[in-house]
Amino acid sequence: MEHSVSPSTNPSKQVETGGDWQRLAPISILYFTVGNIKQFAQFLIYVIPALAISSNIFEMHNASYLIAIGTGILATVSFSGLISYFFYLFRIHQQHVEVKSGVLHRRHINLPFWRIQNVKIEQPFYYRPFNFALVVLDTAGSSEEEAKIVAVPLPYALMIRKQVLADNAEAKQEESNAAETIRTRDDSDEQIVNRRSIHDLIVHGITNNRVWILLGAAAPLYDSAATIIYNWLESKGLKLEQLFGEETATWWQLGLYTLTALLIILAVLASLSIGGAVLTFYGFTLSRDKRRYIRRSGLLSKQEVSMKMSRIQLVTAQQDWLDKLLGRVNLYFEQNTSGTQPQTELMSPNKLLIPSVTVDEVHTLVNGPLPHSGIYTVSYQGVSKQFLSYWLGIWVWPIGVLLTGITTYLQLWNEVGVLVIAIVFITMFTLLRWWRWGYATDERYVYVRSGRMGLDFQCLEKYKVQQVSVVQSVFMKRKRVASVKIILASGSVTIPFMFESDAWKLANDLLYAAESSKKSWM
Amino acid sequence: MEMDNFSNLPVRPSELPDVREVAMTPVSPRYRIANLASVVSVFIILCLALTIAHLQPWVMLPQQLHKLFPYAVAVLALIATLLFSYHWFADPLVRYAIRQQDLILQKGLIFRTITCQPILRVQHIEIKRGPLDRLAGLAKLQVFSAGGSAYTFEIPGLSVERAVQLRQFILDHKDLDAR
Repeated sequence: MEHSVSPSTNPSKQVETGGDWQRLAPISILYFTVGNIKQFAQFLIYVIPALAISSNIFEMHNASYLIAIGTGILATVSFSGLISYFFYLFRIHQQHVEVKSGVLHRRHINLPFWRIQNVKIEQPFYYRPFNFALVVLDTAGSSEEEAKIVAVPLPYALMIRKQVLADNAEAKQEESNAAETIRTRDDSDEQIVNRRSIHDLIVHGITNNRVWILLGAAAPLYDSAATIIYNWLESKGLKLEQLFGEETATWWQLGLYTLTALLIILAVLASLSIGGAVLTFYGFTLSRDKRRYIRRSGLLSKQEVSMKMSRIQLVTAQQDWLDKLLGRVNLYFEQNTSGTQPQTELMSPNKLLIPSVTVDEVHTLVNGPLPHSGIYTVSYQGVSKQFLSYWLGIWVWPIGVLLTGITTYLQLWNEVGVLVIAIVFITMFTLLRWWRWGYATDERYVYVRSGRMGLDFQCLEKYKVQQVSVVQSVFMKRKRVASVKIILASGSVTIPFMFESDAWKLANDLLYAAESSKKSWM
Repeated sequence: MEMDNFSNLPVRPSELPDVREVAMTPVSPRYRIANLASVVSVFIILCLALTIAHLQPWVMLPQQLHKLFPYAVAVLALIATLLFSYHWFADPLVRYAIRQQDLILQKGLIFRTITCQPILRVQHIEIKRGPLDRLAGLAKLQVFSAGGSAYTFEIPGLSVERAVQLRQFILDHKDLDAR
């Protein structure tokens, strides 16, 4: 930092840089360069085919000036990092974070502390030896308003986070209770509530497809990887040309080959997925401060996401069929998602994932943000059988019968077979869906159970509701059932085909909880 | 904590205010007229365009396209009839109500939806007037919550004065966007 941040005795002033604009630590040049190279590589992916064709035409590939061009491009890209560095300025002044950045497209972001919803601290692997960090400040508004302080010393980053979050809490607290002051500024309050071992992460890799993490990162290497795999298969006696090119193999040989190939592919995918899980979640800890959760994880690049507890809108415990078999649950704490771009669930600061916890752990974890809730202990009321008569009786069966009739009339027996199998499967899944779907309420919470093969539980606090809809068709009215849609800041939760009286009771109850409590949803 | 306005009397579930018991006000009858008129005029404009294309002598069109002309008109007429009858029956069913703490909107012909928006969750309000609305002297009231743009609470077909009144009522509400 050009002007080093001078620690003062007043804690609230510690992160303030004063009115002067600050430059980042020089290591940020590396970050900018990496970013620019990444962008350039993405651009190249589209350009390479064109280049390849033209190089064939003009036989440029052995021209010596190509090396010069390559070096030139590389130099420009690295130099661009330096330029970005000189064009980036920031200051934290009077409870505002301000960032000026961009070379051609200049941006000036001004974020008051109280608008900041999330503070995310990231450590790319090349920052770690020097103990630097990247601070990402999110607002509840659009993703355009995201500010990044690219390179500051880690202790300073932590201080920013503490200051911003404490400030938020303080502002709220002062509104509701002026007399009380907060004296919780030291890290000693932080307690680790959950850790994930390598064993857990391997289970997570198997049960959840995390292949894309590695596939995405390895995109530039695909071609050589394909060659290696091809050679390897060949060395194992699987000659692809022989298989498909000549008609020497009998059907059982072909079948065996396919099976072997499938098994190999599955094994490769599973190990890739495990690798992905370990890469993102290595050393996973979930800690709890007084009012917030902090998630830390990552093998190469460390990530730190913190989420204020009061901002959690919905807790989801998700179990796919494989999770169910192994007794594991993916637990999500979801907060405000409106206005932000949808992000991949693993990195998203809006959806905090605790990967593959055991069923026993779920209860303790859920009771953190939602005390005295009974996600697995309440008794769920199933939805009405009208759910089946609607989906099967109005949609699946009539359409199925019609299509089967047509194909039978046309004597397309193969198609008839496929149709019948499809109808049977859809019917089975609808039955499962009806059987799983259920709801329960108590004094404070609403619980929803759903799923087909898997089993998902959702729990929300009544007063956090943003809007409630009750939907009833003419047919449903006659049968005295109705669907309820609960809109939260994190999305919507639907309970279909409830008994009419229950639906209205729930809707009225939710509205009363929100309107009488007068509590903020944030 | 201020104790002056604080009360905490027990509430029995049977005494909870019920959304169903509120008298609902229909939106302006001009809303249906405007919708019906726009369906008819769009149909007429499209038919005219087709007819001109069919009869004009300047550009030669393939013979097959000319053969399709009656079918195209028939399909247009079918869609227009469906839309017309939908608006005819569905528009009078759009009703709204205002309570001390929330706004209620009822709509839908086959699937009847009743949506309730608590005022303390409102983030901002807009009055929208498209060209058709302005022609008919109508306005839409859009109420935004943190639930996201997909769940914007919108009362269509209000008279301008009524829309302004409603907006003022919401803006004056003391719990607006509670923090």
